[in-house]
Amino acid sequence: MTVAFAFLTGMTLVSALGVVLSRNVVHSALFMSGAFLGVAGFFVMLNAPALAMFQVLIYVGAVTVVILFGIMFTQRPQVRRFRTIINRQIWPGFFAAAGVGAFLCYILVGESWEGARPGNGARSVAVLGRSLLGVDEGVEIFSLLFEAASVLLLVALVAAIVISRRKDEEAGREEPGR
Amino acid sequence: MALEYLEQEPWRFLISSATVIFLVLNIAAVLTLAERKVSAYIQLRYGPNRVGPRGLLQPAADVIKLFLKENVSPGRADRWVFLAAPIAMFLPAAAVWLVIPFGPGMVVADLNVGLVYFFAITSIGALGVIMAGYGSRSNFSLLGALRGAGQMISYEVPLILSLLGVAMLTGSLSMVDIVEYQAGGFWNWIIWPQLPMFLAFFISGLAEVKRIPFDLPEGESEIVGGFMIEYSGMTWALIQAAEFASMAVMSAVAATLFLGGWQPPLPFLDLGVFNWVWLGIKTTLLIFVFQWIRWTLPRLRMDQLMDLGWKVLVPVTILWLFVTAGAMLVV
Repeated sequence: MTVAFAFLTGMTLVSALGVVLSRNVVHSALFMSGAFLGVAGFFVMLNAPALAMFQVLIYVGAVTVVILFGIMFTQRPQVRRFRTIINRQIWPGFFAAAGVGAFLCYILVGESWEGARPGNGARSVAVLGRSLLGVDEGVEIFSLLFEAASVLLLVALVAAIVISRRKDEEAGREEPGR
Repeated sequence: MALEYLEQEPWRFLISSATVIFLVLNIAAVLTLAERKVSAYIQLRYGPNRVGPRGLLQPAADVIKLFLKENVSPGRADRWVFLAAPIAMFLPAAAVWLVIPFGPGMVVADLNVGLVYFFAITSIGALGVIMAGYGSRSNFSLLGALRGAGQMISYEVPLILSLLGVAMLTGSLSMVDIVEYQAGGFWNWIIWPQLPMFLAFFISGLAEVKRIPFDLPEGESEIVGGFMIEYSGMTWALIQAAEFASMAVMSAVAATLFLGGWQPPLPFLDLGVFNWVWLGIKTTLLIFVFQWIRWTLPRLRMDQLMDLGWKVLVPVTILWLFVTAGAMLVV
């Protein structure tokens, strides 16, 4: 267990450092997938395989791939000098990161964790879905957030289609056959 | 028994996953021969028949040849990404086997979210293709990788949608539970109530493993091999092994989810511990269908590919999802 923890921690930290310090944007994105995989490993260690699977599916399989897909269309993803990475926003960035970290530590230490038990989650899909949405426990806020997120995603989807749609005269010019 | 500690947790997992990796490598080697033999018989030829009886030792000869070949990488290649890409392609294809039950109690990891595990691991495959295309620093490779990534992201959607019906019917995401649900004979298999979903899963599986008619990322006649153009020797062999292994894994998952997995087709054919034979037979049949399609159909155009995915498969799967839900409410 300790060996696995050390391995995952090292993998996550080294990959995260690689994201920030790499001179090549593609390398940064690939390192990011490594960091995400390390976090998924932590979820597995904490007996939360469902979370780990969603982490891999969404962050490694979708987010990183889409980011890489976007980078591929840019011309030169290579930074010449190391100085360019450590740019003049280093101190604001440092304070923002430290602030978020301190805030998270404060919340996590202050929170009472007595109700939380490790467990692999329900085997039945219905129970698993209800506990994911927090409907069973009397905390119905999660289902509201879920609906809000789905509306947001729908808006983004429609907006992407509207923006990328070609005008009629433009389409006519490019395809004279039709 | 002295070997009882081998059934304890770390050892059981390590030994069984090593077995699975060994199995996957061998499947890939055997499938190279099967591919050439099937193509030969479809085209009224004999295929490889010089090495060993009826050419059965051809895979061994191929492996030895590929081991001895020089590993060339382009001078401008991004060396680490270039070398890591075949591994990033092969490992996901091997890792999916961990949740497939080979027989009663014969599964490496009985995850309660096995189906989600399958989606998650399959989605990593696109990463390997992009790494190969970018790492080679060649225009053909980059084009192939862009095509591959676009295709794999698009067909992920019908792939996931087509399995929701299975999850609804069985009420579980665990592969073991899904196989148990289909016990008792071939009329209990999920393929009958979910036939459109099975076809959608099979077609998107074809696209996901980049086989003809969806082999645009390779496209020998247009982009001469696509993302694998710069690979040679063992790295190329690993990419090929990844392709064949993912073809086998798609067939095995389809057999597990829709065709009853290791359940025998008729109740009296129960072989006990040797029920993995049934999974093997079903998987082999599906792999043969993959190869049959490959040597029968021409390649789709890019717009036809996207049309098929988004305008045919996604609506069909969503429609059948509603039909399934309605039937479950009524029955």
